[in-house]
Amino acid sequence: MGSILLVAEIQKGAIREASYELVSFAKKLGGDIQSVVIGSGIAGEAEALAKRGGGKVYVCDDPALANYNVDGWTKAVRAAAAAANADTVLISNTPIGWDFSGRIAAGLDASFVSDAFDVKPGPVFLRRVFNGKLDAEVAPAAGKVVVTVQPGAIAAFEGTSAGSTEKLAVDLSGLRAKFVETKVATSKGVDLTKAEIIVSGGRGVGAPEKFPEVIQPLATALGGAMGASRPVVDAGWLPHEYQVGSSGQVVTPKLYIAVGISGAIQHLVGMKGSNYIIAINKDADAPIFEVAQLGVVGDLFEIVPKLTAAVKSAKG
Amino acid sequence: MKILVCLKQVPHQDARLDVNADGSWIKEDGIKFEINSYDTFALEEALRAKDADPATEVVVASIGPDRVTQALRTALGMGADRAVHVKDPAVDGSDALGVARVLATVAKEVGPELVLMGLMSDDSNASAVPPMLAELMGVPHATAVVTFEKTGSGVRVERELEGGALEVVDLPLPCLVAVQTGLNQVRYASLKGIMAAKKKPIDVKTAESLGLAGKVGAAAAKAKIRKVYPPPKGEGAEILSGSADEVVAKLVGKIKELGLL
Repeated sequence: MGSILLVAEIQKGAIREASYELVSFAKKLGGDIQSVVIGSGIAGEAEALAKRGGGKVYVCDDPALANYNVDGWTKAVRAAAAAANADTVLISNTPIGWDFSGRIAAGLDASFVSDAFDVKPGPVFLRRVFNGKLDAEVAPAAGKVVVTVQPGAIAAFEGTSAGSTEKLAVDLSGLRAKFVETKVATSKGVDLTKAEIIVSGGRGVGAPEKFPEVIQPLATALGGAMGASRPVVDAGWLPHEYQVGSSGQVVTPKLYIAVGISGAIQHLVGMKGSNYIIAINKDADAPIFEVAQLGVVGDLFEIVPKLTAAVKSAKG
Repeated sequence: MKILVCLKQVPHQDARLDVNADGSWIKEDGIKFEINSYDTFALEEALRAKDADPATEVVVASIGPDRVTQALRTALGMGADRAVHVKDPAVDGSDALGVARVLATVAKEVGPELVLMGLMSDDSNASAVPPMLAELMGVPHATAVVTFEKTGSGVRVERELEGGALEVVDLPLPCLVAVQTGLNQVRYASLKGIMAAKKKPIDVKTAESLGLAGKVGAAAAKAKIRKVYPPPKGEGAEILSGSADEVVAKLVGKIKELGLL
């Protein structure tokens, strides 16, 4: 049986926790664990991974890999998978992971499972479909399998281990993509990460004018901030700075009220750390009710204005 | 420039999702279908390129049964020039790699400089096909693109990272770009466009005509969905009952309890 190759990711000079989650996932699968780290000037990161469950860590260290590059990563992971004689390749489903992982699967003619949040004996991988409304069990065919693992789905491996590092040379000539720069988000308007109370509206709010008419008044009455789910921002109803979610702001307020939000994974990632979550949605099966503590299955246009009035009244 | 836009027709976002008899997917009878939302943004981007340079040819392609014709007519009504419909039961049940193989073969025939498609589909949410298709086509690609512009030497895109950060990347042509939602504002087909669409060609292909007999479809699929089911309900939320006023009173009570009123 071939080994499991973990593709670690470096963020701000350290192996990110999602990579140690891959270690836990690999241990659940069972098998010889090897890893690859990719970047420039990364000996320290490779050592850290070798000591914390990474097993034999291949190090692809080259100035051409200083920033993510689709061709560079594809070549490096291919080389590492060959060197490790890997049957299974595990990659974190991050903006980098989902970018190159399909290329690896196609190149290896492997089974491919993306955004797995768990694995059962078989192996059978669990993932979500229909924007979180259904769970799916996927069984790979015999042979090689490439799996991207949902960040945060499984606890990171916290133990120590005796691993090793080995430099792996990769032919990096002919990289077609060219990294230009990274633009860091500039915060405009309200910093939702600092708000104690957030009232967020989703697609269920139905129209842009309903945000200032229905959602903002509740947020204001509570002394909190207004937020939104991704579809609202995509539709142009509110600017990006209101977006709560994995590609917007990740918030941890004392109270999060989700109005007309179904609860797609990308949104849940942005608010499930909230201290207390109330959800109002007309669909009793909306995934948001799984993370909320308190829920109302009903018409937000009836509930929210009444709630706003009641809050104002309570405050006197 | 010739642009190929790959579209997937998916159950409507608000469609009722009932699991089918053997538990392997949802029941498709009686539900509405629509173009995958991510793909609509890709199509819009292609049509904007055509607005800017009318010499641009926009070819749309999709895989699936008869109902897919509607999706292709919609795309043609919005302004695409012609369509390719891979309609063949032998292709049904393909996994992502199978789909990528079909699209790669279509792309070889179409010969685009640019392939535009959505990052993922609203049903499988896999983000699998775009990178696989790029690999099979032997072209570079970028995913989760939120800004796209043509440059002298190719394209410059901004990829969405976590926390609102963006990565700016240059790609030469030919390349494949998989877009995020919200990249642009998607147009509606005009009445004039819908009428004109009736005359635009839809080229129907089969696995055999693409030389893919035996290489795609359920039998060739490596990653098989064994079953789907509603997520097991954990504790979940305490659902309040009663009239609107009663519910609101309970909510106010809870917010007071949290010390936030």
